[in-house]
Amino acid sequence: MRDRNVYVAGAAGAAVAVLALFVFAFVFPVDWVVALVDQLDTSLLSAALRLSVPIAFAALGGIFAEKSGVINIGLEGLLIASAFTSIAVAWALQGSVAPTTAAWAGFGAAVLASTLLAALFAVVTIRYEADQIIAGLAVWLVALGFAPFASQIIWDSVNSPAVPTLNNWVAPGLVDIPVLGPAVFDSNPTVYLMLLAVPVSWYVLNRTAFGRWVRASGENPKALDTAGVNVRRVRYASVLLSGVFSGIGGAGLALGQVGQFIGSGQTMVAGRGWIGITAYLMGNYNPIGAFASSFLFAGLNALQFRVQQISELNIAPSLVQMVPFVAVIVVLALVGKTRIPDAAGDHYESGDD
Amino acid sequence: MPSNRRKFLASAAGIGVATTAGCLSSLGGSGSDGTNVGVVYALGGLGDKAFNDMAKQGIDQAIDEYDINYQGAEPSGNSEFPTLQKKFANSNNPDYDLICTIGFAQAEALTENADQYSDQQFMIVDSVVEKDNVASYVFKEQLGSFQVGHLAGLLTQRDFSTGGDGMTDASTNTDAATVGFVGGKENSLIKKFEAGFIAGAKHAGDVEVRSAYAGSWSDPAKGKEIALSMYDNGADVVYHAAGGTGTGVFGAAQERGRYAIGVDSDQSKSAKEYKDVILASMVKHVDTAVLTSVENVVNDEHAGGEVSALGLEKGGVEAVLGQELGSEIPSEVKSALEESKSGIVNGDISVPTDPENA
Repeated sequence: MRDRNVYVAGAAGAAVAVLALFVFAFVFPVDWVVALVDQLDTSLLSAALRLSVPIAFAALGGIFAEKSGVINIGLEGLLIASAFTSIAVAWALQGSVAPTTAAWAGFGAAVLASTLLAALFAVVTIRYEADQIIAGLAVWLVALGFAPFASQIIWDSVNSPAVPTLNNWVAPGLVDIPVLGPAVFDSNPTVYLMLLAVPVSWYVLNRTAFGRWVRASGENPKALDTAGVNVRRVRYASVLLSGVFSGIGGAGLALGQVGQFIGSGQTMVAGRGWIGITAYLMGNYNPIGAFASSFLFAGLNALQFRVQQISELNIAPSLVQMVPFVAVIVVLALVGKTRIPDAAGDHYESGDD
Repeated sequence: MPSNRRKFLASAAGIGVATTAGCLSSLGGSGSDGTNVGVVYALGGLGDKAFNDMAKQGIDQAIDEYDINYQGAEPSGNSEFPTLQKKFANSNNPDYDLICTIGFAQAEALTENADQYSDQQFMIVDSVVEKDNVASYVFKEQLGSFQVGHLAGLLTQRDFSTGGDGMTDASTNTDAATVGFVGGKENSLIKKFEAGFIAGAKHAGDVEVRSAYAGSWSDPAKGKEIALSMYDNGADVVYHAAGGTGTGVFGAAQERGRYAIGVDSDQSKSAKEYKDVILASMVKHVDTAVLTSVENVVNDEHAGGEVSALGLEKGGVEAVLGQELGSEIPSEVKSALEESKSGIVNGDISVPTDPENA
């Protein structure tokens, strides 16, 4: 219940802020305020949705893993692995099959690669009971080292050539809805997947037997064991799910939006997995809250790009770029109601062994 | 917790192997004679289709013309610059005659290493390191950027369209005379690009310039979103100086059927998937700088302590029209570009280096 209150308060706060801005623009038609209000349009909404994809999927994956008791901080690594694989496979198939087939094959391979890496993480942490935080860091660092290394071998460079992206899907009829229509119903397939995955994840976690097992495995594994459910199996399934979700997120970034893998620096993933962790903590392990947080961060980023372009507003771009991060910290401090599952991070020894 | 510690060590070792494997790559031959050249590339790596690839072109040309052996290193973070520079400087087999450090970000590390290895010959591109053993090469980026800004400004005021023949159909939007600039990280170097571009666009008439920074050199998704927001606000041409982030700008141009301008190398060639939207590129002849420095070392004339500033007249920077679209650009526009070029060279037009003055 408290959960719900927080979301209602958050949504109301955001609505009031936007409304206040409009009123302010009307009462004080200062150039920059008018220019700012001008930016709140379809283009911003669709940009926010696209930018949410990798963050929201990483967050969904993180929720399942951590709810089951396995803290997966390797999400960033899973995103890198899938971003790289999606482009590598799509590139390899280029020319021999239709571009759409190549792109979807790359997408499938990316999900598979991310799931395999997550499986490795699961074996190390569940079967061999390694420290989850250290194993998660290892997943990240291995992906961060391996993807540019493999790019170097394949393309003789840490960056890949361009490949065709997944084409937008247009929902006829729905696309004509004002504002919302063009932003949502003329989108990349991965955006639709995200909008589908969020409620489905919520439903699975809160309304199905599997969801109950996942939650019990993270809160009180002993009780779950006593009820005759294999805790390890539940945890394996949850960690694999985090791999599947992250795979979609990474492929959505590389193949859905850009059509290229960039392996230099922090790679093109550039911390989206870490933001994903913040997003689900901010959303207190609720898929809908996690999506709202991802969307807030992505939306502020999309807005930030536009604010920089307002010539009437003479603020240093570096400062404007910080806005999404500052907002996340402020919201985290204000919400501050995250409750970590009781058994998260603990190994579970079944009495049977 | 002995077993935990062991696991930690094991994973840490695995990580170490994986990361170091990524940064040093052997690309050249290993003959015994000739001049040995080591190159520490800028962040962004080879295949950035811009800065680093241009440096590699200079090396390739040097390999063709002289008897040189080459080894390159692609760092994955700022912290690796000092280490990689030292690695080359310390090496005895081969003993490097010249170490090329590409990019302004290496200046700090090089300032220290130049003292420590005072017998080693270094060169740096894009920054000035005042040491007797370092030859510095800088570019007047604002001049080339002025040229592409002028081009963008002229075209956005005209009815211009291209396409057909399997190419993306692209056109200018005649309602608004707007162009855009996307920068990587905000620093005084990239501001020179921005300043020149703005000045050039304004030179063409009453043109609005929207500009924004991505805060990253390797985030094409951000680059794409920024460019999309510019096109959605009426921009016809977007110029980027953002390394790997910039390929997102080209993707956005194709998606919206508008135009983009590349940077550092002729990107209509190096990123040929996007040649149907790349009007021109502001080419910075890093290859010339690298080749010249190797030439000097081969001839025993290393220009240590000297600064070469390469501008429009010496062919250091230039606006190179796109492979595909260059021929479509109207001749009046081309001759206007020639005019502004000679205006800059003979000093009639002064180009700012800070966007505040543009």
